[in-house]
Amino acid sequence: MADHGMTPMPPSLRENSRRASIVGIGETNYREDYLAERKRAEGWQPPVIDDLCKLAFDRALADAGLTPGDIDALAMHYTFGGPDPDEMAQLLGITPEKAWVNGHIFAGTLPNIVGRIITGEVKTVAMLFGIGNRSSGRQFGGNTYISGMAGPSSYYYFHPWGWSSQAAHWAMMATRYFQKFGKREEDLGHVPMTVRKHAGMNDNAIMQSPFNIDEYMASRYIVRPLHLYDICLVNDGAVCLIVTAADRARDMVKTPVDVAGWSESYITQDKMKVMIDERLRPQLQAAGSEALTMAGLSIDDIGHFEGYDVSSIHLVNQVEGFGFTPDGTGIDFCIDGQMTLGGRIPTNIDGGNMSANYMQGWGQVPEIVRQLRGEAGARQIGGLNASLSAMTQTDCVHPVVYVRGE
Amino acid sequence: MAENRPPRATGPGNDTFWEGCAKGELRIQKCGKCGHRPWPVVQKCEQCGSDALAFEAVTGMGKLASWCSFERPYYGELMPVPYDTIIVELDEGPWFISNPSGFANADAQLGMPLKVAFLDCEDQNGAFKLPVFEKA
Repeated sequence: MADHGMTPMPPSLRENSRRASIVGIGETNYREDYLAERKRAEGWQPPVIDDLCKLAFDRALADAGLTPGDIDALAMHYTFGGPDPDEMAQLLGITPEKAWVNGHIFAGTLPNIVGRIITGEVKTVAMLFGIGNRSSGRQFGGNTYISGMAGPSSYYYFHPWGWSSQAAHWAMMATRYFQKFGKREEDLGHVPMTVRKHAGMNDNAIMQSPFNIDEYMASRYIVRPLHLYDICLVNDGAVCLIVTAADRARDMVKTPVDVAGWSESYITQDKMKVMIDERLRPQLQAAGSEALTMAGLSIDDIGHFEGYDVSSIHLVNQVEGFGFTPDGTGIDFCIDGQMTLGGRIPTNIDGGNMSANYMQGWGQVPEIVRQLRGEAGARQIGGLNASLSAMTQTDCVHPVVYVRGE
Repeated sequence: MAENRPPRATGPGNDTFWEGCAKGELRIQKCGKCGHRPWPVVQKCEQCGSDALAFEAVTGMGKLASWCSFERPYYGELMPVPYDTIIVELDEGPWFISNPSGFANADAQLGMPLKVAFLDCEDQNGAFKLPVFEKA
């Protein structure tokens, strides 16, 4: 496997399945922080990543019913940098045996920690992700991407043609999808509309007001044919997951959520063609099937999906690619109610990246934990035993399968 | 009059590409070992890892594979919005991001035959010819 800059994962073997569990979750006040940043009232200060991490950690620790002394390892994850892990440990009030930076986006990070727990290198780990995306004024396009930067060349190579931004990747996919399968903008609009409806049941979702198709069509374009509502949010925040060995997790207060399977797959050549024509289908199928096999499950066993909805069309790609519905039928599947409560696969049920928060894949996990524990309130999926998350970028996919612990 | 554009990627390989454009040739790398044609420019073949890559002029013919239009000024005044971008499936295989010339995305049709044309442009490194595509 080439080095893609992602956190290395242990192999997707049955013997690695269900060996560690998520026992605590903590998130920041996404909505409150977002609204404050928009308002910028006198005296407003941009959120500091240290404080965001501290809040998420304190909440996760309380959720797990643990004390600071129970945490023996601190794994930090930053996309755009953050405090030194030892300083962070001090700020959190813990004295772990090990504190280090373990990666950034939710790509390989959880399997990596499970692997360390299996070998006995660490016991009970606080995994923390923190990001000051919005307050730093980060823009995901234009000359902010330069040649020589790590990452796929598609982000910087096409400047002379004015082609840049993540949104442009999704827009090219959408046009081709519409042409190939006879769909229109107003059909795709049902996908963000459904996810927004879900966000209306989540108090911490940034965007909660529902919209209809007329409002969707009237909304401004970001990159045509994609509208504002088709693209993810940009916000500040932190997520903390507390992970421990599955046997130890059985003694804890909350129902453990076991990490049952994982995989990864990358586009290795002809990125534009695979991304726009095949919409990562080969990667989604390969990684999805490997993660499910590791978990000893089939796609029919998965009752909840948290996909990486950086764009509405990309959520369709994932729902189709993993095999919840055949190629080219994802939009109709959504219109038919199959991606919401009571449907075949309730998807992004907390409001996803488009409406709840954009935590670069980490935001999906707390919702999976709440759902599998049965703590999701009005948006609880009934009789749920297994969930799937996927961090799916323009050129790679990292699915993780989770099951409700016995 | 040359159009101002955001900067090209330059350096080994890229310079060969732009020199070709200046002569009215669309040059794409071809792997001497496996025959793969990568785009954009790479230092090693993405299919077999070989560095035996040589530039070859392609026909400049292709068909329209997709399109999108920018409505947000990611490049400020350098690229006033709205403007159209397309992706062309070249007859030789690679998928090539470009701009339409002589037609707009509003008239675009999937699979429409296209041919390359070269537009006089200028960026921070000077004048250059930008490959764009018109109806064949």
